[in-house]
Amino acid sequence: MTGELLQLSSLSGGYPPVSVFRNVDLTIGKGEAVGLFGPNGHGKTTLLKTVAGLIDPWDGEIRFDGRRLNAEGVMAARISKHLNYDLFRRRRIQARDVVRAGLIYVMQGNLLFPEMTVDEVLHIAPSASRGRSGVSEMQSLVRDLFPRLRERRHSKIRYLSGGERQMVSIAVGLLALPRLLILDEPTLGLSPKLRLELSEAIARIRDAQVPLLVVDQNVEFLTSLVDRLYLFDHGSITSEIDKAHMPSHDEIMTMLFGSAP
Amino acid sequence: MAIDTFIFVLISGIVLGGLYALMAVGLSVVWTTLDVFNFAHGAFVALGAYVAWQISQSAPGPAGFALAAALSVAFMFAFGFCLHFGIIKPFERSPNIVLLAVITTLAASSIIENGIQLVWGPREKQIDPNIDMRVDFGGVAIAGIDLLSLAVALLALAGLAVFLRRSATGRAMRAAAQNREAAELMGFNVAFLFAIAFGIAAATAALAGVFIGSLRFINPSFGADPLMKSLIVVIFGGVAQFTSPIYAAFIIGIVEAFSIYFLGLYWAPAVLFALMIAVLMIKPEGLFGNRQKTL
Repeated sequence: MTGELLQLSSLSGGYPPVSVFRNVDLTIGKGEAVGLFGPNGHGKTTLLKTVAGLIDPWDGEIRFDGRRLNAEGVMAARISKHLNYDLFRRRRIQARDVVRAGLIYVMQGNLLFPEMTVDEVLHIAPSASRGRSGVSEMQSLVRDLFPRLRERRHSKIRYLSGGERQMVSIAVGLLALPRLLILDEPTLGLSPKLRLELSEAIARIRDAQVPLLVVDQNVEFLTSLVDRLYLFDHGSITSEIDKAHMPSHDEIMTMLFGSAP
Repeated sequence: MAIDTFIFVLISGIVLGGLYALMAVGLSVVWTTLDVFNFAHGAFVALGAYVAWQISQSAPGPAGFALAAALSVAFMFAFGFCLHFGIIKPFERSPNIVLLAVITTLAASSIIENGIQLVWGPREKQIDPNIDMRVDFGGVAIAGIDLLSLAVALLALAGLAVFLRRSATGRAMRAAAQNREAAELMGFNVAFLFAIAFGIAAATAALAGVFIGSLRFINPSFGADPLMKSLIVVIFGGVAQFTSPIYAAFIIGIVEAFSIYFLGLYWAPAVLFALMIAVLMIKPEGLFGNRQKTL
């Protein structure tokens, strides 16, 4: 059990009363880059938001570096239609604890803080990593990865392009000194040129020994980046593929949707 | 209208505007960060004034007045900070938090008002700032306390702006106001930041209350008028930027001063409300507002 960084065991969750994912088992080892691939709308983002502590898990266990992050037991169902039971229900996981533990989630299509400048956002970003060493190294890595952010440091986030906004999101995640960085569709909706630029940056983040969990729709990018790939379908993990057996785009499509007639 | 009368009315409008700005900013800070409207804001003004009055009873002189103001502001910050956990925080995940917050803040307002009546009684009081200085301004003598209240209001607003724009906590507060989820993912304690916002609102209300209490008489329910004025200011100016209610407050203050002079005390609120309705019809997001509300 020592090599495992993140371990999800039979994790279930969703937006009550709708169950979105069920019995998810997933492990990420130290220094590993892992991919998660699956069709849109099948619950990948909900799963990751749960792991990040934004949504309460229903059942199962989230362990990070041996420490349990969510409360024990099963989430109780709503007991009364008439009483505001939510008032007395405690959160089963706290985003703050997750971030403190070093698990950093970069949201999909993150709008960040529209009225703040890039500089202001990057200034408050390392608050989670306060007091830990390595912030200045990470700052120079971020400067290296995204030279464009330096040019736009006085712009408000709302005036940035989608790609630049994604760069700020990833930079914010990196400045928190992640022990595991989760990137949720980092290249979603970007132009091919920006997509390439961002993919290269993410490959360099992996080369800088930052453990990664990446969700993306681009199979070629994902298979070249990661050590292991999980396929996610209909709210659960359907298979796990290691480096030696990385499939092509067509093979994955066959695995997920069956063979073409 | 003689020129010295004009200057006198204008300056009293500006002084009024400074106090309105102080109150309206507190209201808009809560509205932009917590997404709720704080109906207890007027009661905060009243409680701040009464706390300062109590302290000034045992600390005479201008120094005593300064001490009373400072202690009242500090007390109200702590009061607002704690109150957030009582009346807003429990409902933060409820889908109808806006409605619930209307009820809880109204309840808090009523409790505070009656608490004041219980402790200090219904008789009118006035804080004595012990500042007898008068400043000659273009042939018009302006009371020192008027100038002091304007200066302190402007200083407090500038300090608040610096806090929100430069300090790490202030920036984190703005971040939590603009995108709560993203702020949580950065590890901020959003509930704590929201409580600070509520505390700041109460503190600015107290500061306004101290000066109102030294300009006119106070009674336990005098907070209703400041609440209404700050509501007009916030609607009039919009809350797109930290500065928009401030500009609006000075406009409203000057308009009020001139309508009192020309139309009389009883018609001034009608003028202000007419102005507010006109703005709501023509530019519903406020004179300096846009659709986005941010801190």
